[in-house]
Amino acid sequence: MKRSSIPILVAVFASALFSGCAATVPKKDYSAFKAADPHSILIVPVVNRSVDVNAPDYFLSTLSIPVAERGYYVFPVDLVKHLLELDGLADADLVHNADPLKLCSLFGTDSVLYVCIERWDAKYMVFTTQVTVEFDYQLKDCKTGGVIWAERKGMVYSPQQSQSSGNPLADLVAMAISAAITKGMPNYMPLAHQVNGQVFASPKSGGLPAGPYLPDYRKDYDQ
Amino acid sequence: MAKRGLLLLAVSTMLLALTQGCAPSRKYAWGNYDSTMFVHYKKPQEKEAYLERLKQIVENAEAEDRAPPGLYAEYGYALFENGNPKEAIGYFEKERAKWPESNVLMEKMIRNVRRQQETLGTSSPAGPAAGQEGTR
Repeated sequence: MKRSSIPILVAVFASALFSGCAATVPKKDYSAFKAADPHSILIVPVVNRSVDVNAPDYFLSTLSIPVAERGYYVFPVDLVKHLLELDGLADADLVHNADPLKLCSLFGTDSVLYVCIERWDAKYMVFTTQVTVEFDYQLKDCKTGGVIWAERKGMVYSPQQSQSSGNPLADLVAMAISAAITKGMPNYMPLAHQVNGQVFASPKSGGLPAGPYLPDYRKDYDQ
Repeated sequence: MAKRGLLLLAVSTMLLALTQGCAPSRKYAWGNYDSTMFVHYKKPQEKEAYLERLKQIVENAEAEDRAPPGLYAEYGYALFENGNPKEAIGYFEKERAKWPESNVLMEKMIRNVRRQQETLGTSSPAGPAAGQEGTR
């Protein structure tokens, strides 16, 4: 009797946990995405709203892999960037403001991914440096020009939190070292990779549905 | 200074390992594609080194038969920029054959590189986009 009540209790707790999570994360509407059914994604140069002039190019280098790994054809980002420059669209803002349908026909793509860097900065404190990134992603359909998927995500990295050894003195030394390192040249790339990984991962967490090159294609989002 | 650089390298390598280690294995053989692009944007003047890195990635991906989308085209463009239009066309054709989604763009690239070769002979490259198509 007692034994059999334990699994029930566990199940109740588990369902409470799950429903609790579901309630806090509103489900995304994938109907426009389903209707568009993109097979290819053109990633255009990144718009910069941070003060770091190098951020857009650096961030552009992190986008192809996570998007292509979701099962889509991804156009070569550097080639695309150069073609746009030669066509008079050297500035990413110009590209983002251009008619998406014209970009679509120029490259023969099904959809265009627009990314903006909202934050890319470092805050220096005595013993640590806090690095913050935040990005805005919008995928537009080439049949209608409308947005079929969007996400905004930020992340903060502070070496202080993630490197506790349990020994306060050792922690202090480690902090001092990492502060010196990040002060010399803050490294945003691991953080950028991590944000992309979470953003594109799965429609269950609001990410990109599996594309035609994945076995999950048309199966991994709710009807 | 050198010590700090080494530390930075070690820490960023560890972080990369951490962030990528937990990810499931990849569908395509990307090699160090993302860091190659990163270095290319950091040091755009090192064109030959960029070409060489891309070449390595292409060779490894072909050995595994898992070439990612866009790789042949990116390598083709780097070849073109380094004054090798003939080989560039070969890789644009490869991209088109492997990925039908790239057809429109690759047709355009091949056509423009050929046209430029005809009008300029074998002189230095300027850019294959100069064509009749505009974006605005």
